[in-house]
Amino acid sequence: MGGYGDVQLLRDDGLRLDGRKLDEMRPVSIEAGILPAADGSAMVTHGLNVAVAAVYGPMEAHPRKIQRQDRAVIDVRYNMAPFSTSDRIRPGFNRRSREISKVTAEALESVVLVERYPRSKIRVEIEILAAEAGTRCAGITAAAVALADAGIPMRDLIVGVASGKVEDTVVLDLDKAEDNYGQADLPVGILPNTGEIAFLQMDGDLSPDEYNLAMEYNFKAAAEIHEIMVDALKRRYEGGEN
Amino acid sequence: MVELVPTLLRQELARLAEDDMRLDGRGQWDGREVDLEINCLYNAEGSAKVVMGKTIVYAGVKFELRTPWPDRPAQGSLMCGAELRPVAHRKYEPGPPSPQSIELGRVVDRGIRESGCIDMESLCIVPGEKVWGVMIDIHVLSDGGNVFDACGLAAIAALRTAVVPAERFDVGEDYTLKVKGTPIMASFTRVGGRYVYDPSEEEELGGDERIHITLGDEGHLHSLQKGLRGVFTPAEFAEIFDVAHLRCAELRKLVANQEGN
Repeated sequence: MGGYGDVQLLRDDGLRLDGRKLDEMRPVSIEAGILPAADGSAMVTHGLNVAVAAVYGPMEAHPRKIQRQDRAVIDVRYNMAPFSTSDRIRPGFNRRSREISKVTAEALESVVLVERYPRSKIRVEIEILAAEAGTRCAGITAAAVALADAGIPMRDLIVGVASGKVEDTVVLDLDKAEDNYGQADLPVGILPNTGEIAFLQMDGDLSPDEYNLAMEYNFKAAAEIHEIMVDALKRRYEGGEN
Repeated sequence: MVELVPTLLRQELARLAEDDMRLDGRGQWDGREVDLEINCLYNAEGSAKVVMGKTIVYAGVKFELRTPWPDRPAQGSLMCGAELRPVAHRKYEPGPPSPQSIELGRVVDRGIRESGCIDMESLCIVPGEKVWGVMIDIHVLSDGGNVFDACGLAAIAALRTAVVPAERFDVGEDYTLKVKGTPIMASFTRVGGRYVYDPSEEEELGGDERIHITLGDEGHLHSLQKGLRGVFTPAEFAEIFDVAHLRCAELRKLVANQEGN
């Protein structure tokens, strides 16, 4: 975390700088099936973040050494577009995107019924077109909707959400300023039906009580986002196409 | 997958060409409907989204302060790059930029650069010390055929909306980038033995060589590129050159309409 303690992030009326309540998330909208070339796809707009996910496969696993005899592997690439941030990002993989890709893949492998597709690969491409704190969560949500859109069997959807701490106060869904100057960030991937957690990261400083409250906020938000995900998938298939 | 049956596809395309028909019912020189959105990306200083059939492309413009090249101390720079990301099609593999995406970015770059629509000297802040570097990044999200034209259109439309972020870099007030003209690309692929404008994914798969023409506002050529295996005659070029003028003028009008002038 940035950890500048002296930046005011909560207003005198107790609301946050953008007028949200402590446990209020930014507006989320989701569209499924937006990329014609992909087997499944989704776009998630979460606040000012825009994440697009495409799913290809299941397909033959290449290179051979990544093959698993008993299950499919999920190959995730999280990538930020060069124009997605204030300062341009040099195209290509960096350490941050590699790590996010790895843990996201492991989270998705925990919900997809990978045993159904031995020796195969499911490619998940996550592209961040606009970034304003919380892109990995928006990416996870987009990936889950894209997997469902591709018709890949899953135990549950997975919802990416984050809570954190600013000015010693737990808040849901950090925006850019709160992420830069806040004290903690707790992004998770929640299975909305089973209540399990498949993705977990955290940095900063949280007491056990703060952790519990942040997690409570996360579960509440996950339920809200889950409805929006289901709604997007329903809208996609209402017309009876595919 | 359609990649497995290019022979059958080629036969079908040749048969259709005899009757002057195309797979999707278009005429030889008809383009797909083009949807252009400008200023659609938060954080980019200029941006555009182009949808042409199943092709979806975003372009974003960013600026950076840099020291000028020693041989051009009073000029800024322009760079345009395209990425055929694995998100766009199952045929694209992850890894360093492929020759294909390098060609794509460079052809778009040449069309814009050579049209002279950006006055490089206007990008100079302190000669020999500080100039603006303008970067246009093109992100192909879905390759449904003819990504060249989609990228060319997205790039120039994004550039034309760009606002120089001078305040953020502490070198004065923000101002709209001056862009003189709207260079537009028109692409043709040989399908079933004859050229068609704006090839679809299937036509590219079952077709042969392609030709890309970028025209400026006055109808002058600013970049040409022939790609893939095949040859063409001067008469064939003359014909597509005429078509290019018409299609480029239409797309230029579309950009102007979106800008509201």
